[in-house]
Amino acid sequence: MDQAEIILMIVRIWGVIGAVVALGFLTFGIDQVDEDAQDAYVFRPLIVPGILLIWPIVIWRWFVLATGRDHWPNRYHTRRRNHHWVGMLMPIAIIVILATGWSVRQTWPAHIAPVQLSAPQEPTQ
Amino acid sequence: MSDKNTPFFVGYLPSPGPLRWFLMTTIGLFIATFVSAGLFIGATQDAPMPSGFRFDYGPQTVTGVIELTPYPILRVTQGNELIQEGKTLMLAGQGKNGIDQRVMEADGQLRSITGIVLQRGTIDMLQVDGRARGVVDVEGTAPPMETVPLGRWSLAGEICDGKCLYGAMRPGTGLAHRACAALCLIGDVPPVFVSSQPIEGSDFMLITGPDGTVLPRAAYDFIGQFVSLEGDLERRGDVMILRIDPQTMELTAG
Repeated sequence: MDQAEIILMIVRIWGVIGAVVALGFLTFGIDQVDEDAQDAYVFRPLIVPGILLIWPIVIWRWFVLATGRDHWPNRYHTRRRNHHWVGMLMPIAIIVILATGWSVRQTWPAHIAPVQLSAPQEPTQ
Repeated sequence: MSDKNTPFFVGYLPSPGPLRWFLMTTIGLFIATFVSAGLFIGATQDAPMPSGFRFDYGPQTVTGVIELTPYPILRVTQGNELIQEGKTLMLAGQGKNGIDQRVMEADGQLRSITGIVLQRGTIDMLQVDGRARGVVDVEGTAPPMETVPLGRWSLAGEICDGKCLYGAMRPGTGLAHRACAALCLIGDVPPVFVSSQPIEGSDFMLITGPDGTVLPRAAYDFIGQFVSLEGDLERRGDVMILRIDPQTMELTAG
């Protein structure tokens, strides 16, 4: 299995799990956690692509809301507290990624000259 | 609540005095940082040669002998003002596709080919028209075409897709172009090896697998990276064909 096949397999597995989560969440889960969504169906297919991408967060929020563990102000407190650090980490991460990219990238092998290993045979037609 | 004298920014009201200077300085630093970063990152990249589709030439029609290497090439026997007789052209289809299916029965036969020229520097290829006029049967006997073996060689360079390298993309080489090149090669666009130094005056050669097979899957992991490899080289007209030995492929150091 080459690198492309491994990446494709991971994407497929992620997508299949996301599809299962989307099916469960949009058929009965969303009615549990959002009363405004009850009896509303047309919009549900529209959020399938989003669920395919972030299904772990959907499962987590579905669990928290369905089990009554949610204390809604906490969501915003946590985010506000983390803003400072995330704001600092992002530019640092960008610089680290760029520096890593520059340091590990290959240089054009201009110093390696072509070498003939064996003589040619007769021309053919 | 906080101190009443703490300046507070409201988008639709004039900025409070102390915040004004902070905002002006921050905006200035932002612009300077991103412009500097853009210039710095851009300066580290290689500048591609002028290249692209030559729609300004218009569709070109030439006649020649199709040869499957297995990737199709055209040995021109009847050219025009732009493409001279004796020239060898690599052929690609529309988008990220080759034209293998359209010429698979035409190996060694005469065909009239119409398409748009792709040009980078002195090298060029033809993007074959997708309509029926793209490949037309021609009556007559194909003249014999010479293949000149050049022996076995050890080379260093990069595996690219011919279409992007020849001008469909800029730069069309390097790691940033890796995904595009892989998709083009999966679509049977002719693969090209860019050599670190020229052989018989040419830096570019069509590459295939050993014994006339398509590029082996193992080579796809090396697309867009700098590799060393061994293979048998031959010349067909003004195009060189490198039949690589996939066992010898490895990334170059550094």
